Amino acid sequence: MNYLDMNLWQVKELLDKGEVTSEQLTSMCFEQIEKTKEINALLSLCKESALKTAKEIDEKRKKGEKLGALAGIPVVLKDNINYINTKTTCASKFLENWVSPFTATCAQKLIDAGAVIIGKANMDEFAMGSSTENSAFGVTKNPCNTAYVPGGSSGGSAASVASKQCFASLGTDTGGSIREPASFCGVVGLKPTYGRVSRSGVVAFASSLDQVGPFTRCAKDSAIMLSVLAGKDELDMTSSSVEVKNYVQEIKGDVKGLKIGIAKQFFSDKLDDEVKTKIQNAINVLTKNGATTVEIDLPSIDVALAVYYIVSSAEAASNLARFDGIRYGVRAKNYEDLVDLYVKSRTQGFGKEVKRRIMLGNYVLSSGYFDAFYRKAKKVQKIIKQEFLEAFKKCDIIISPTTATTAFKIGEKSDDHVAMYLNDIFTVPINIAGLPAMSIPCGVSEKNGMPIGMQIIAPHFEEGRIFNVADFYENNKEVQ
Amino acid sequence: MSKINLEEAKKLAKLSRLEFTDAELNTFVEEFEKTLEQVNAIDSVDTSKIDLYEETLLADSQLREDVVKESFKQEAIVANAPEKKDGAFVVPTTVE
Amino acid sequence: MSWKVVIGLEVHSELSTNSKCFCSCKNKFGGEPNTNCCPVCTGMPGALPVLNQKAVEYAIRMGLAVGCKINQYSVFERKNYYYPDLPKAYQISQLEFPLCVGGGLEIEVDGKKKFINLDRIHLEEDAGKLIHDVSGTLVDYNRGGVPLIEIVSKPDISSAEEAVAYLEKLRSTLLYVGVSDCKMQEGSLRCDVNLSLHKEGEPFGTRTEMKNLNSFRAVLRAIKYEAKRQAEVLDKGGKIIQETRRWDDEEGKTYSMRTKEDSQDYRYFPDPDLIPIKITDEYINKIKADLPKLANERIEDYMNMGLSLKDAELLTNQRKISDYFDEIIKQFNQPKFVCNWICGEVFKKLNTETYEDANIELSAKQMANLLQLYHSGTINQAVARQLLDEIWGTDLIPENIVKEKGLAQISDEKGLEEILTKIVNENPKAVAELKAGNQKTMAFFIGQTMKATNGKANPKLVGEILNKIIKEC
Repeated sequence: MNYLDMNLWQVKELLDKGEVTSEQLTSMCFEQIEKTKEINALLSLCKESALKTAKEIDEKRKKGEKLGALAGIPVVLKDNINYINTKTTCASKFLENWVSPFTATCAQKLIDAGAVIIGKANMDEFAMGSSTENSAFGVTKNPCNTAYVPGGSSGGSAASVASKQCFASLGTDTGGSIREPASFCGVVGLKPTYGRVSRSGVVAFASSLDQVGPFTRCAKDSAIMLSVLAGKDELDMTSSSVEVKNYVQEIKGDVKGLKIGIAKQFFSDKLDDEVKTKIQNAINVLTKNGATTVEIDLPSIDVALAVYYIVSSAEAASNLARFDGIRYGVRAKNYEDLVDLYVKSRTQGFGKEVKRRIMLGNYVLSSGYFDAFYRKAKKVQKIIKQEFLEAFKKCDIIISPTTATTAFKIGEKSDDHVAMYLNDIFTVPINIAGLPAMSIPCGVSEKNGMPIGMQIIAPHFEEGRIFNVADFYENNKEVQ
Repeated sequence: MSKINLEEAKKLAKLSRLEFTDAELNTFVEEFEKTLEQVNAIDSVDTSKIDLYEETLLADSQLREDVVKESFKQEAIVANAPEKKDGAFVVPTTVE
Repeated sequence: MSWKVVIGLEVHSELSTNSKCFCSCKNKFGGEPNTNCCPVCTGMPGALPVLNQKAVEYAIRMGLAVGCKINQYSVFERKNYYYPDLPKAYQISQLEFPLCVGGGLEIEVDGKKKFINLDRIHLEEDAGKLIHDVSGTLVDYNRGGVPLIEIVSKPDISSAEEAVAYLEKLRSTLLYVGVSDCKMQEGSLRCDVNLSLHKEGEPFGTRTEMKNLNSFRAVLRAIKYEAKRQAEVLDKGGKIIQETRRWDDEEGKTYSMRTKEDSQDYRYFPDPDLIPIKITDEYINKIKADLPKLANERIEDYMNMGLSLKDAELLTNQRKISDYFDEIIKQFNQPKFVCNWICGEVFKKLNTETYEDANIELSAKQMANLLQLYHSGTINQAVARQLLDEIWGTDLIPENIVKEKGLAQISDEKGLEEILTKIVNENPKAVAELKAGNQKTMAFFIGQTMKATNGKANPKLVGEILNKIIKEC
């Protein structure tokens, strides 16, 4: 029996039964990482501490001590999540040697639940990108076909779960950075409601849009992960105090009476026909089992991408200003004075896409442009949010494709940043509205064999509905 | 419709504390034009009826209590510094 | 027509909360560099600010004390600029929705009263400190993230004296509401001056901003210097450049730091890490109810006790003095008597030069005890003054010293009569003069009696007894 092929909830049961130990699982994961090295999913490993933790958990289990929900399960963190005394590079040359003196709240929650952190995952530099091609440490390859990108920015986290290096991983999603790679790699990726998971200790890209979420092999695993991750954090004012549910119990195994909202804006001509068909098939699985579809209108989501680029770049420009070469990170070798130190350190430390976003961000914030861009964008954001709230009066969930196409080849879009940005058109509106959404696999392209992802969107803090629908689909898709 | 020229791009680079060659800046201006086309899409939305107010936290009950917690050790604060002396960060001589 | 000076002040006052504005590090002056620091106040990647409730309360408290309107919706914004003392490369401050707007306070210069309007009071975080060293500049973030309020006046001030009177009033109010210790030396109270000149009936001229003003005296001198400098430039037909100028206290001059051309584009925008806050009426009312009594109310109270307006104002210039007075009269209820002593003897003790940081080195309990002894006639004035010198800066109890050293004044009539009879007999010439109506001779007899009693004789009694003896002989 290959444990690595199992879902998290399945190995959890086997660990509880004593059929396998955490130490064994952890070692298996490290072996698998070695075997699948070529995909370049991870930037650093925590071998020593992971095996030590695994042994400790095994000991505790032997003694019959009470264990957390993730006791002994090997997991991976995206490399923009601080984990004490390890490097958090954000896949940037600037932070190549930054060793964090503290642990992010989300990572701490995993640790407190007994998870074994085995490594840090590759990503687009500072989470800016949709392919991990913007990593300063080399692109991650899609485990389904190494000629393809894994998506991004959390490409390493998605690829790590897809290539069975771990049972779950954390990513961050600002405009689709969990859902897009989940879709491209054929795994489950959840972006929770904005504020559901603390951002404390997670290196910010765009603070008002960033959200931490899990990659898993199935919806139930995702529910287990969110139950651990969610909750108010006194270190993050934007974290919500809305009650955290036991999300596993939200899975009812039934979609009778479920109203699925379908917006024509998500099924435009930009959508690949094959993707469209697969999504339609998936919806049919649900409607055959008692769900109904209802047409909804989201007229302003077409401009969500514009709002996204204004708001995220503005926040990023400010968030990344602290990388100045004084307290940590790269300091240029030769500089004339203080200003030159700033300029040279930043110019040497940042990659092209990061520089582009910083420039755009400072442009929209600079005097004379602020009202026309930033302020206007914030107002449009309100309209988009309002449209979703209206739509949810008519339906329980909304279903759309995660991306318009399947994964593209490495290098295919790297010179065309506008085409790359368009990749996010279905995921970005969700961040703009602050909603929770999940990408789950719903088939494979017959053209290139790459996975296709379906996006399930719920109202704020109704992640439970997503888990129920996704789990139902996973269990019933074979029998359509 | 917003546009950008080389001169503005140079100013923006200065503001961003970044340096580009002229060739890089020219490419940047071209790409920037395309991005701005995208971004200008928000002009089409009527926002005249939308106010700026966002959700709030209550000042008397939802903020942090004024309680001191232990600070980090000095070594931890300066551990990653490219240049440090006696527990302080060192920068080129700066007088204002 | 002469130039009119137009001045607006931006006063920064550090709030005396326990912890910093956006993290739980200790709000404490000095110490080893970077020892009151954490990832938040040193701008480490991933660290997030969390707003201190007390800092908000203190800012509102000050706002209420100076009649501001409290904004029920308040937003924190990022002011973006690069400087090594600013670890995030932005300062969390307020622009569009500050906590308090409007308000103002009344000042008095040369007997003339004037109301200075405020533009706003907002909350922001302090920057770290730069220390200059042979190897470069050292950066210490202990002060980084300490809560500050910025109190911005309207350009209502028209002289250096008014500016200082305004600062004194502001400082006194800050101390009254108890939100800041206002130590200019330690930088917990700082002031920037915006100054321009214009002629009556004409629009305001171009202004300069002066920084690095570390004392009220520096403010006074800098304003006088800068007004003169600008007048000279304008009189020669020159133009004032909008710029920031640094005051050099030793040289007594201002120097250009930067002009508007290279001034920063701060790119303010709402900080997405900090949710806007809502301040309810209930909360405002609660803070209002807890507000300590301010100078005006105390003046009224004091006048009701029978003090003159002038005395009441003298006592209330500083909360510390007023509190001291209140404490003394709780134990010894003779307001007028106590007031005279504070305004006379105590003020003499407090070096007027350093008045703003004056330290009363005598507890109210000691003072009440001393004044009781004096008021009841146990000791005379000379002894009371002598005792004040002796116990200042100690915890000695006047009563005990009086007992130990036998300082109680001699009010024993028989004893004094004996001494006086002796003096009268020894000085027939003086007796004759006194009888002739030369009252100055009275002082001679009192002096002689004091000498004989080591200064402890009751002067009033001495007079009475002497008159009796003279009449008899």
